[in-house]
Amino acid sequence: MTKRLALWAAALVLFFSGVLPVLSMLHSSLLLEGHLSFSNYLNIFSSEREWILLKNSLTLAFLVSLITLFLGVPLGLLLGKTDIPFKRQLSLILCIPILIPPYIVAVSVDNCLGQEGLLRLFLPAWVLSSLSSHYLGLGGSVFVLSTVYLPIPMLLTISLLKNVNPALEEAARLSAKWPLVLKEITLPIIRPGLILSAILVFVLCLGEFSVPSYLRYQVFSVESFTQFSAVYDFGSATAQSVPLAVVALLLLVAESLYSRKDLFLSTPLVSGTKTLEIALGNSRPYLFILVSALAFLIVILPLLSLFYSSLDFSVYKEAIKVAGDALTRSFFYAFLAASLLSILGFLSAYTIKNRAIWCWRLVDMTSLFLFAIPGTVLGIGLIATWNNPWTQFVYSSLLIIVFGYVARYHVLSSRIILSQLYLISPSMEEAAQLAGAGWLSRMLFILTPLSKRGIMAAWLCVFLFCLRDTDISLIVYPPGCETLPVRIFTLMANGSPGLISSLCMLMVVSVLVPASIFWHLRWSR
Amino acid sequence: MLASKYVRIALGALFFALFSAGLISCTNKGHDSEKTVVVYVSEDQVFSEPILKDFEKQTGIRVKAVYDTEEAKSTGVMNRLIAEKNNPQADVYWANEPIRAQVLKEKGIAAPYVSKNAETISDVFKDKEGYWTGFSARARVLIMNKEVDSEPKSIFDLASPEWKGRAVIANPLFGTTTSHVAALFTVLGDERALAFMESLTENKVAISTSNGESADLVASGRYAFSLVDSDDAVNRIRQGRPVKMVYPDQGERGIGCFIVPNVVVLIKGARHPEAARRLIDYLLSPQVERKLAFADCAQIPLHKGVEIPPELKPLDKINVMKVDYEKVAKKMLEIQPFLRKWAGLK
Repeated sequence: MTKRLALWAAALVLFFSGVLPVLSMLHSSLLLEGHLSFSNYLNIFSSEREWILLKNSLTLAFLVSLITLFLGVPLGLLLGKTDIPFKRQLSLILCIPILIPPYIVAVSVDNCLGQEGLLRLFLPAWVLSSLSSHYLGLGGSVFVLSTVYLPIPMLLTISLLKNVNPALEEAARLSAKWPLVLKEITLPIIRPGLILSAILVFVLCLGEFSVPSYLRYQVFSVESFTQFSAVYDFGSATAQSVPLAVVALLLLVAESLYSRKDLFLSTPLVSGTKTLEIALGNSRPYLFILVSALAFLIVILPLLSLFYSSLDFSVYKEAIKVAGDALTRSFFYAFLAASLLSILGFLSAYTIKNRAIWCWRLVDMTSLFLFAIPGTVLGIGLIATWNNPWTQFVYSSLLIIVFGYVARYHVLSSRIILSQLYLISPSMEEAAQLAGAGWLSRMLFILTPLSKRGIMAAWLCVFLFCLRDTDISLIVYPPGCETLPVRIFTLMANGSPGLISSLCMLMVVSVLVPASIFWHLRWSR
Repeated sequence: MLASKYVRIALGALFFALFSAGLISCTNKGHDSEKTVVVYVSEDQVFSEPILKDFEKQTGIRVKAVYDTEEAKSTGVMNRLIAEKNNPQADVYWANEPIRAQVLKEKGIAAPYVSKNAETISDVFKDKEGYWTGFSARARVLIMNKEVDSEPKSIFDLASPEWKGRAVIANPLFGTTTSHVAALFTVLGDERALAFMESLTENKVAISTSNGESADLVASGRYAFSLVDSDDAVNRIRQGRPVKMVYPDQGERGIGCFIVPNVVVLIKGARHPEAARRLIDYLLSPQVERKLAFADCAQIPLHKGVEIPPELKPLDKINVMKVDYEKVAKKMLEIQPFLRKWAGLK
């Protein structure tokens, strides 16, 4: 009874926070002057422009997925499996871009390339001018989004390498060199994870509008945003967002089915088993320089440029004055949402793994769909659903933001915890059950401690995503309760460049501190 | 082990502190209905927030604001107002141009209120039925880089071969650029306005995401000139950037400079109607117009005799484009399909 109650409660929270709002938007997209009509959907591809936008969206997402995969996997191998020096520090530096809102990365790169930017100290004006003209459009969008999402395949590679049984590699090493072992043994074992990372990057790029909008590259997500902002036509705007969501959902479903088939390949390791490390030998210093140069070019240089334009420290005082309360609120909302999502994610992961309730697949698919749909659709849907006199306590309080975060990022917590649950032998729970332990006791004293690492990773991942969220927060935050990314976004219009740079630096530091603490705890373990 | 324990205790304490601070900041609501007013703001936060803080100080009424900007394309605020129509949360909407206010009026979201502080504001800048009232205006001006030799004098220079590929404007699907294009349609007539827009394409006029970005692109030397709001131009001048502001089409036969007033709207079904009216009265006062004139947004007062900084021209010294804002709003909705096509072809 307790089990069913808990699992259904988790599923219902997802339903009320995400499904109901999106259903209300889909309903409005099927109505035209009060009557059922498919005209919003029929209109989508009636003009050549829509096809061009779709092509642009897919091109951008494909290029970014390809680049991040082909850069991220070698980086993950270097930082997760070799004796390259300062691997912890390099990993942390390369992860910074994913921790901050993507438009801040776009602004910082633009700062570098501008006539008053840092690069003018090193490059001739014509080179700078040529670079900055190529920055606008597809080139800049690919560069910025590749920088932002590079950590996804890199971190997944590092993480998955820890699950590769060293006995397999040792056996192969008897007759082959490392490159062949990596090609034939290691990479095939972690292949499902790598495909997941590429698809995740693809989906995230499809839904991203702030960077293409800033860099003036016309994509479908910008078009959907335009429908909301220029025409105020919710039905049409929702219809515009559906094709991308469907593409994203199909990819995620395909990945989901594929990865389940390949699960037997990843063998859970006994705790404490050491993975094999590749000795780089003579190439160690060169590879270190190469990785460092990459980290300097795509992360440190843009951040230095931000720091350079905020060198007047009085603006930091001003930044804390205008945004200190927003920063506190951001931490608070993210903390609440991450804690709630860890519990919900655990329960959903349990539901999916054990097929514990009849709609287990629906829970999985729904959370994927809510991640793929644009934040604007979800945000407006939340208003339409929760803004009525009976649910005023939700809509006018921080609960509405937490609901938005829960709907949006549920898939991250459930998927991370699910991957951990798959590594736990079912016999553990069965043994406890035979010994007379009830379901709640088994959850609290067997599965929770065994999946502690997964829950912690899920908590931090969701916490950081909530902390950097702009699209949902911007639409639903209660009056007077905005978050730091929203405050930066609204102050960017005509705010002094120094103040904006210092606010961006504040944002970077505020996500780096918890990330560094987690990193420290993880590596020290 | 011990260090790890201390780290856990420190993290626990940190989270507890954050939890408490967040809870305090979000529960301090002040439920006294006339001691609070909720305002949704499309005017840039850097300019509007100090005005609202002054109102709080003077009246003791707490202002809870939701800010949005032209850079954010007012997605948040306008969409929220429309989505909240059946259960409004806002009492007042401070728009940075009259077209959005007109949209709210047509969608039944605005309520009429005629403030006594608006008596000396010209009827041109007010809704005939009192659904919205204008104050502190921006002018649509040309911003040019000082290193450029010749000086554009008219918005029609955007289509002049002399400036081919050297001008930039904000995306006309958004903000004041949309209003300006719609105003041109009402003044020039559809045929001439369409021809003008097509000539912009032929003359390779670039499209930016916002007026602020256009101003920055001119200041950085990427483009020679742009059509922006006067606050964007004055802001860059005061930052010491190498730009100059030109009021366009000022000759006797010129079509005049398009004026975009801020607009304040009372929301239908406002929860704090009395506080809302007090805020509207305050925003329409000459003292607020003076503050907005001397702020970096450098907006032109609509009340006569309000002191202004030297870089601004008083309204009676500008050849103003003669438009009916209601007609402009209707035209704006009418030309949306054309604008979408036009912007998409870029």
